[in-house]
Amino acid sequence: MKASLSWLNQYVSIDMNASDLADTLTMVGLEVDSVTDRYEYLNTVLVGRIVEIVPHPNAQRLTVCKVDTGNRLVPVVCGAPNVKVNMLAPLALPGTQFLDGTVLNKNTIRGETSEGMLCSEVELGLGKDRSGILSLKGSLEVGRKLPQALSLSDPVFEIDLTPNRPDCLCILGIAREIAAIQKTSLAYPDIPVMEAEGEIADHTSVTIEAPDHCPRYAARLLTGIAVAPSPFWLQDRLNSVGLRPINNIVDVTNFVMMETGQPLHAFDFDRLAENRIVVRTAAMGETFTTLDGKDRKLTDEMLMICDGEKPVAVGGVMGGLNSEIEKTSRRVLIESAYFSPPHIRKTARTLGLGTDASHRFERGVDPENTVTALDRAAQLMIEVGGGKLISGVIDAHPKKISRNKVTLSAGRTNRFLGTDLSQKTMAKLLESIEFKVDIEDADTLTVVHPSFRVDVHRPVDLMEEIARLSGYNDIPTTFPPISAGTKLPSRDLDVRDNILRIMTGFGFTEAINYSFMSELSCDKLRLPADDFRRRMVEILNPLTEDQTVMRTSLIPGLLETMHRNASQQVRDLKLFETGKVFINNSLEELPDEVEILAGLWTGLRKPVSWHSAPEDCEYYDIKGVVEGLFQALKIDNVKYSRMPNDLCFYMRPGHTAQVHVNRSAVGWVGEINDQVLKNHDLKQTAFIFELDMSRLSPHMPELQQTRSISKYPAIARDITLIMNIGIESGEVLIKIREFDEALVESIQLFSVFEGGPIPAGKKSVSVRITYRSIKETLQDEAINQLHRDITDRLMRAFQASLPV
Amino acid sequence: MDKSIEDIKDEALKAIDAADDRQAVEAVSTRYIGRKGVITQFLRNLSNLPKEDRPGAGKRANQVKELLQKAITDALSAIDARAAGDIEIDVSLPGRSAQRGYLHPVTQVTHQICDIFRRLGFDIAEGPEVETDYYNFQALNFPKDHPARDMQDTFFVSDTVVLRTHTSPLQIRTMEKYKPPLRIIMPGKVFRCDSDLTHTPMFNQVEGLMVDEHISLGDLKGILTVFVHEMFDEQTGLRFRPSFFPFTEPSAEVDILCVICRGEGCRVCSHSGWLEILGSGMVHPALFENVGYEADRYTGFAFGMGVERIAMLKYGIDDIRKFFENDMRFLGQF
Ligand SMILES: [Zn+2]
Repeated sequence: MKASLSWLNQYVSIDMNASDLADTLTMVGLEVDSVTDRYEYLNTVLVGRIVEIVPHPNAQRLTVCKVDTGNRLVPVVCGAPNVKVNMLAPLALPGTQFLDGTVLNKNTIRGETSEGMLCSEVELGLGKDRSGILSLKGSLEVGRKLPQALSLSDPVFEIDLTPNRPDCLCILGIAREIAAIQKTSLAYPDIPVMEAEGEIADHTSVTIEAPDHCPRYAARLLTGIAVAPSPFWLQDRLNSVGLRPINNIVDVTNFVMMETGQPLHAFDFDRLAENRIVVRTAAMGETFTTLDGKDRKLTDEMLMICDGEKPVAVGGVMGGLNSEIEKTSRRVLIESAYFSPPHIRKTARTLGLGTDASHRFERGVDPENTVTALDRAAQLMIEVGGGKLISGVIDAHPKKISRNKVTLSAGRTNRFLGTDLSQKTMAKLLESIEFKVDIEDADTLTVVHPSFRVDVHRPVDLMEEIARLSGYNDIPTTFPPISAGTKLPSRDLDVRDNILRIMTGFGFTEAINYSFMSELSCDKLRLPADDFRRRMVEILNPLTEDQTVMRTSLIPGLLETMHRNASQQVRDLKLFETGKVFINNSLEELPDEVEILAGLWTGLRKPVSWHSAPEDCEYYDIKGVVEGLFQALKIDNVKYSRMPNDLCFYMRPGHTAQVHVNRSAVGWVGEINDQVLKNHDLKQTAFIFELDMSRLSPHMPELQQTRSISKYPAIARDITLIMNIGIESGEVLIKIREFDEALVESIQLFSVFEGGPIPAGKKSVSVRITYRSIKETLQDEAINQLHRDITDRLMRAFQASLPV
Repeated sequence: MDKSIEDIKDEALKAIDAADDRQAVEAVSTRYIGRKGVITQFLRNLSNLPKEDRPGAGKRANQVKELLQKAITDALSAIDARAAGDIEIDVSLPGRSAQRGYLHPVTQVTHQICDIFRRLGFDIAEGPEVETDYYNFQALNFPKDHPARDMQDTFFVSDTVVLRTHTSPLQIRTMEKYKPPLRIIMPGKVFRCDSDLTHTPMFNQVEGLMVDEHISLGDLKGILTVFVHEMFDEQTGLRFRPSFFPFTEPSAEVDILCVICRGEGCRVCSHSGWLEILGSGMVHPALFENVGYEADRYTGFAFGMGVERIAMLKYGIDDIRKFFENDMRFLGQF
């Protein structure tokens, strides 16, 4: 909402400068976004002195002038009859944008260059004289900018209004707030009664067939109007808030809307079939051409203003071409209505057509200002367009919008706000913005809100008004007592925080990718048609093509991050992300949201340095990270087994392990499939892991108990088994753990070997078992016995033999 | 007497340092502490000194002799160790780097914010990112077809399901589940259909809610003042100005004195001297009615802030999109 200081001053005498006024409005909740001067467009217009005039060689009525601007002489082709040597006149330079939107260019007029334009009052938007160029009087300095030379200044406030304050979508509304702050009075416009002849009921009628959409519709009729450009004062007012003048009738409707907040519409009465108005909803699929020349398809929820035969306007949104005011219009029907806000909003959104009118109607205009605004428009149209008013007003009002009394307790208000205001102060503050207040008893006030404050319904709404007007910053700052509150569970958060610490400790950097992905991501990951990750949540109105669905995997985001970094020559990455994936659930309204931890390692194992040759990371590096993570999370009984080839969609077969904890699958770790790397335009391989975080925490101990530490010495013994290549070597470790021997302290797998002396199809696997007792020093013999026993059991379990 | 004992000591130590094999060290030893060495000579010549100075000088000479003896022994064993193959290392070469990872700045700032409120007795709550229209709007007092919905550009999944535009739905979800008194802080990702230098379609918010008997607007000011002072510093001024959110009444925007220019006016604060960082207000009674709290008995306040915006101010980041590009050269700075 734009408001110019000059227009505001018409209703309230403002005693602050522009920047103080802007601050003050901001601090009562009308946030001023910017303050500009409405004459800024004249900053490229200079005071010029005409020093030479010669006739245009190729055009009889034109002259070529040389205009002094202080530091140079500007050649200007001019057609004005009143140019004189030594005359001071405004010279617009190329780039100047006039109020009608045209931009002045340097050009050649019939062979003569013109590098500026000498302007008339009308052209500058400074008056109504169009007979010749403006002759500047007095001793003005040549070359000065016109606004400075003529002291032209009118600050314009751009106010970012919140949707609850439609009452301030007009100059009077803002002036009312200023008057309340200044504690000065507000001068409403004077609207004298000027009814002339006839009786409106004899000429026209209004029928409301859709009272839910249109609770009130008022109309007046004018006759003998002459449609013409508006007088300067009216054009000037509209220009001051950035509205372009059109003709006197339309300008009055805009003026009254800006002044009072009530949108109006003027119909050419003679173009209304049967000279009457019918307010009804549209027929489904009906089309209608709005004022902007566009054909609109209507639905049966839209409200149409119709004549005896057809629609003539989309109610509250835009008029139609078929009833527009034209130069020849003589009789005008003015509409002033109250339309139901949600219906208007729906219509405007469905049509994709927001207008100054719909903006106000959907926020709620003053339902009791309908006829006042109508009278104001009638008065002004007669003033600027001649003509006469037909007596009487039609005020069809099928649904009354009532105002409630709200009871307010002063004590409760003070406790709620933390203030110590007297009941009288509260009443005064409310009365300053036209609330009607009755004091019932020492604590109670009964308040009726003014009809324009459609946002006030409850005691808290009044408390806000009191707080706002007395100043938020004057409310004492206090500290609430912290009582023993409800405790919320925090286990999942603690697990995540722990994972963040562990992963950064392992040298991994956290990435945060968008929760969106492209629907093509599943193809790039080579997921089969029935994969659960293809159950995507689609966004109906995505911003870009790569953000059309919610992600069902963190991998696309990590691979894209890898690609972005690679394109900046950053090729060694250790990244991780924790975040949700979204799987459509046909049984529920909302998708399943599953929190995943994913990691990616690509490039070198260690940064390049002098102490070792550079080595690329490999499967066992990322697997070590996963193992270390489980260890840090105190999760035991983790098993890694080869991921079956038919599940390796985006993972490399034979280089990927499924991860199980206590026999339940929690994720996988391995290398990205070659084809998938190509699909992501990646030139180097990457190792990743993915773990379902929700499946980890059930395996974590709630309480940790420390093991006692033995003070007796340990004894280590090795075993080497010759076994089939097909057996996963890790099984040996799992098996020994399954034996659950109390004396086994730790097991290391320290060698795997194929070829050489080992027969084909076999491999040797060597493990070292460390034995220790909590109670005593172990005797060699006892350990040898146990070690032999374990060896035998392993040989049986794996059909293994000992080396020869 | 031509040289002082201190001069002799310095000269001898220099000679030991310079000697780089056994023979040279032994020569130094003979020269200084041998039977006919410099120190022996010095002791012999003590009789030339005045009588009262003799005991002191003698004592000092014996100390120096001991000190030199030790230096010579050390030098010899160092030479032996070298001879046994213990080569010295170049201590100036770079070490094997202990690589650390970096937490994303958004996570770090979220933690900072949450930690401040946890110290004030708030618990953390989280909830779904894909949300129903009911929780995202209706229960928060945004009626259908109300212009307040235009304040947030919404991504739609269906007529009744949206990507949450704020973390506020958690106010409703938490209040439905738990009884007052309640103090919760709700961090999370939110989504709006908007993208430029200061907007990304996804960003992070932290929302707070406190409900109890007798909570006042003054209390809201108190809690947020403590927060701002902890998050920035004690010198950071605040101002509260009236605003509008459907789920709070009264509503307040909270501005802090510009952390860059301290209120003088600069590019970051658009020359206003103030930065808008928080939206807040007293919980609208309609919310209490929607979750079945006694609206007469309880009052409360809520507030919310954008994590990226605060991170941008704290770290001088000028383009919000950097947070989600995950360029290592960016992440590695935090
Ligand atoms: Zn600043």
